[in-house]
Amino acid sequence: MEIPYLVTPRKDTGLFNSKIAIWLFLASEVMLFGGFFSAYVFLRLGADYPWPERTLPVLPGLINTFVLIGSSVTVVFAWASLKLRNWRNFQIYMGITVFCAVVFMVFKGIEYNVKFHHQAVRLKDYTVIEGHLGYEKEGEQYVLDHKGNRVEENLIFIEASKLTFNTVRFHKPWVDELLGQAEHRKAKIVLAEDVSAVTEEGKAPTVIAKAGELFSNDLLGRIQKEHLAARSHNGQERTDALRAEWVKAKADNPGKKGWQIASTVNIDAAALAPKLLTEISTVSFNVEPATKFEFKPRDIKEADGQSRLRDDTVVDGKLLASPMVFHHVDAIDFQHLAMKAEAKGLDPMQAIENSWLIQNSPFAKAAWTWHKGEVAKLEKKLLDGYGLGDDKKPRRVPTHKEMYRIGWKDLGAKAESEGGVKLSWMDKTKEEFLGPNYDARGEATFPGFSVPREQVGFAAKFTPAWNTYYALYFTMTGLHGLHVIGGALVLAYYLFFGRKMYLENPEWLANRVEIGGLFWHFVDLVWIFVFPIFYLM
Amino acid sequence: MADTPEAIKKSVKTYLFVGGILFLGTIITVLVATVPALDIGRHGFDAMDCILGLAIATFKASLVAYIFMHLNHEKKAVYWLFGSGLVMVCSLAFLTALAIFDPIYDVFFYSGK
Repeated sequence: MEIPYLVTPRKDTGLFNSKIAIWLFLASEVMLFGGFFSAYVFLRLGADYPWPERTLPVLPGLINTFVLIGSSVTVVFAWASLKLRNWRNFQIYMGITVFCAVVFMVFKGIEYNVKFHHQAVRLKDYTVIEGHLGYEKEGEQYVLDHKGNRVEENLIFIEASKLTFNTVRFHKPWVDELLGQAEHRKAKIVLAEDVSAVTEEGKAPTVIAKAGELFSNDLLGRIQKEHLAARSHNGQERTDALRAEWVKAKADNPGKKGWQIASTVNIDAAALAPKLLTEISTVSFNVEPATKFEFKPRDIKEADGQSRLRDDTVVDGKLLASPMVFHHVDAIDFQHLAMKAEAKGLDPMQAIENSWLIQNSPFAKAAWTWHKGEVAKLEKKLLDGYGLGDDKKPRRVPTHKEMYRIGWKDLGAKAESEGGVKLSWMDKTKEEFLGPNYDARGEATFPGFSVPREQVGFAAKFTPAWNTYYALYFTMTGLHGLHVIGGALVLAYYLFFGRKMYLENPEWLANRVEIGGLFWHFVDLVWIFVFPIFYLM
Repeated sequence: MADTPEAIKKSVKTYLFVGGILFLGTIITVLVATVPALDIGRHGFDAMDCILGLAIATFKASLVAYIFMHLNHEKKAVYWLFGSGLVMVCSLAFLTALAIFDPIYDVFFYSGK
């Protein structure tokens, strides 16, 4: 059957069908991205932290903008070539378009990769330290965990003696992880005491699991099964009892409304008790001997004595030293601290001088002293350049970010001014894409630093977890990237498999390319807004 | 729409020209944002930079829609479809902006003072 209106337009709309379809789709896309841009404005205006202005590397973003604009031109050239029945030119222009899509995604991948390997920590006093975490070493050898992986120096260590699981919520992969760690350290995890329960109505309790039984997912599963069965049975019993009470109360109080007698309707708990089964909501295991376990910070709320995992597992034991060890610190940010100080009516400069980092890190203190000198120079430069306003105040002053943030470029400039390593322009250009070059600049520029766990307020890689800015950045650029991939696949299909259609009906292929091109232009159009909003504002 | 070979050949030049303007617009935006001497308004990012950046971006986006996506000579149905999308976005943005009046930000709201 021939599908109508693939090439010729419909009389009512004046358009061929796929064109109507793509414009409908693009209208929905406008609303989708428009919604995200609205969310951006909303979150930025309501942010309770210093919004990261101009924080992304401009050069890769700029190149990607050029790449997308270039591809928009070439895709329209490809369409024009088909209209002029020039297959060779179509291949060339469409080839360039697809190549541009690949280049765009490669740059995007590099940008994401840098973020995924860059760590930030907000201390309890709101100072932010950025850099790269290291891996645990013994001598020159990396310490490996029970899976043979290197151990990142951002783990919570607890010498656990007892583990108590919530029998409904326990997370099976974590149970396996605990088992693996125990086995690796030659420790045993055994049931602390007999688990006995009434499993049938009116009968005596039976032992479900004996003390000393080895810890496993199967054992927890067995106890969970009994617990859920008991909970279901008891729920039904309570409902039935309550229903009977209501029937009785209604009969005793004819003509009265439910709300008038509600306070008199009560379950007879004593009468019900013999009918109930035993619910086993938690179960405890002993660790023999008490052994060091490691946990990812995001999985545990740690405390000395008793810590709690996100699945409600309670870990009893001594909290061991678990510092976050930066092998390289590449930025110190006092913006949030200054913002908090200003909100309290305190002098932000004094607050910074009193901050834990300045008090405890000679490097940070030296960097801050150097930075204050640079800010003073900038103030003078702006005053000399733009003078005073009518209110006798300087027309231009350094920004909050310039005053309170010491970025990796600042640390590089500091080291260079003190006779440290000077990078070639080529290496500096590479840094624009890959971030600070620790190997080339060395310890003097980006030294290591250990943050005691008790000073850590919040820590994350530069992922959506860090703040709403990065959440939106990854959502929007990720969604846009998926559009680039989807569009490129469609255009590549026309390029590599369009020849047959071209020979049969060139106008049909031209129409298809026009549709694919419209989508591609839309992808470019979205980026035209994404680039300035995320990279320049 | 440019459908005859002559018209298409003619529009190719327009596409190139528009491509050039898009490149230029991008460069201007980046220079204004990164070169202090070209910074307008206050030093650093401020409302003026925001207005200028978004104005240039809107101009560039309009060119893409108008020339590359052929909205300069489309059928009425397309304008209705795309226009309705834009209206919905503007409404959405407006409704979101109303959140500024959300009493949850009013510290006295719950205390009744």
